[in-house]
Amino acid sequence: MSNLLASLISTADTLQAYGRVLEATQNNVSNASTPGYAKQRVDLYALPFDSQGGTTGGVRAGTLVSARNEYAEQAVRTQTTGLGYQQQLTNSLTVLQSNFDISGNQGIPQALNNLLQSFSAWGASPANQAARLTVLQRADAFAQASNQTSNAVSAASHDSEQQIRQTVNQVNQLVGEMQGYNRLVLQGNTNDPGLSARTHAALEELSSLADVQATFQSDGTVSLMLNGQSPLLLDDKQYPVTATLYQPQEPPPTNPLGPPVMKLQASDGSDIATTGGQLGALLKLRNEVMPSLIGDGYQMGALNLMAMQFADRVNQLLTAGNISNGPPAESGVPIFTYDAENPTAIAASLKADATVTPDQLAAIQLGPPDVANGVPLALSALAVPVQAADEINGVSYSQFYGQIAGRVGGLLNDAKNNKDVQQSLVSQAKDLRQQYQGVSLDEEATILMQFQRAYQANAKFLGVIDQLTQITIDILKT
Amino acid sequence: MPGASVVEQLAEARIELDRAGELLTAPSPEALNRCCSVLEATGRRLAEWQPRLAEQAGNADALAEAWRLRRSFQRTERLLQNAGDFHNNWVRLRGAMTGGYTSAGAAAPVLHGPRISLHG
Repeated sequence: MSNLLASLISTADTLQAYGRVLEATQNNVSNASTPGYAKQRVDLYALPFDSQGGTTGGVRAGTLVSARNEYAEQAVRTQTTGLGYQQQLTNSLTVLQSNFDISGNQGIPQALNNLLQSFSAWGASPANQAARLTVLQRADAFAQASNQTSNAVSAASHDSEQQIRQTVNQVNQLVGEMQGYNRLVLQGNTNDPGLSARTHAALEELSSLADVQATFQSDGTVSLMLNGQSPLLLDDKQYPVTATLYQPQEPPPTNPLGPPVMKLQASDGSDIATTGGQLGALLKLRNEVMPSLIGDGYQMGALNLMAMQFADRVNQLLTAGNISNGPPAESGVPIFTYDAENPTAIAASLKADATVTPDQLAAIQLGPPDVANGVPLALSALAVPVQAADEINGVSYSQFYGQIAGRVGGLLNDAKNNKDVQQSLVSQAKDLRQQYQGVSLDEEATILMQFQRAYQANAKFLGVIDQLTQITIDILKT
Repeated sequence: MPGASVVEQLAEARIELDRAGELLTAPSPEALNRCCSVLEATGRRLAEWQPRLAEQAGNADALAEAWRLRRSFQRTERLLQNAGDFHNNWVRLRGAMTGGYTSAGAAAPVLHGPRISLHG
């Protein structure tokens, strides 16, 4: 009797398993053209049969295939997050770089070059009023170029703030959509392929925006974590994220008037760190790249440092000289002014004093002996410094500016290269996902062995090429 | 070896590496086998030029092309690494899901029974 009962149970389980296979096939046909839909497959496993031991045999449907599908989906999402990051960096840095000309035909480098040339021309004829007027005009042009570049970087910084807020809104909106899907699942829609397709499409979109980890729970709902640490969605509860500006107080800021940093906060007020996706790139630009140029609470920024040191040095040389030796002797006056209260606003507030007239430029360098054109000669030496006082961070002002522009250009170049690689990685992850759809676990085992051999062979040749390309560069560099 | 031809030859090697990279964006076992042949040819070509490269030391155009070649290599390497990680991680996951963990805490190996593979 017990054997008959066992056989009936076994048959019922088997029929249930075959039912799931038919259900999967039916879903595949119905959703052949549904965007985001992954072909479903149910693998069957033989169960052990032992009449004495009470194991009844039969088959059961497997879960490995769905786990593999989800693994492949996660791989696509991971690479999509990387692509979102590099794409955003490329777009934003392209805008930023347009403000840093390195050809010398516009902006700060042109204005600086023109000003240094005007010092040189003034040195050749120190009493010439036209040469003196040109110095004042070009000092004004240099100040304006500093203002424009600094304001353009500030504007880019504000744009990135707006973009961060918009991206956070998009994240919250998508998580809200997925909260709705979870509710449907909790109401019993556990095997709805359309719902699964919409969930995966939303997840892929979300992964481009931020580094979101998705975990499918046994009840069919999906849990979302930002950067693996802050919950965005658990069951049917959403945890919205907000973006806020704040000035850190610990350690106390050295520039309290500097631009605040932007941070993400969870609904309980705790800080969220995010490093990937478009959001991660925007935060890196807003909190690291822009402050290195225009400053924040803890640094003055390279543009402000350059504007301050250049203005101070020019003013110092002019005020150390004499306009005339009199009697009475008349000392020189400074030509540059800036807002000294806020070190992060120096480049933006730099001005050539409009009240200074050409005859107020001090040309006489005090001796003994006094040199009639000593001050303009000392000013023109700023182009090719021979003493530390004429340098900034050990280089000339032109070279320092070149370093700033080069850093922005280098970041953009890296981002462009990484974006190209990341695009290939996304294509690869999508191809791998596609390759496994419809492949049985048995077929997979054979393919995996083929892959293993092929990887080893490819890795061996790549190791050789690695050495050869490196040696090639070393030889050509010498 | 004239300067221009070094640049051309380095560019050819780069194009080959780019081709290997393209194959790796769809890494089927067949594509990986073809990729292997491409990489072998590229490696052989670079090794053949190596002794004569010293004549071109300081050639700025050749150096710029060598950097492009290096970037292409890095892209190809990244693609191979990523595809390899994908399969290795899945094998580990599959081992853990089907066989649990070994006493050392590693995922159980995926055991494949003896099988015959026929290719037509």
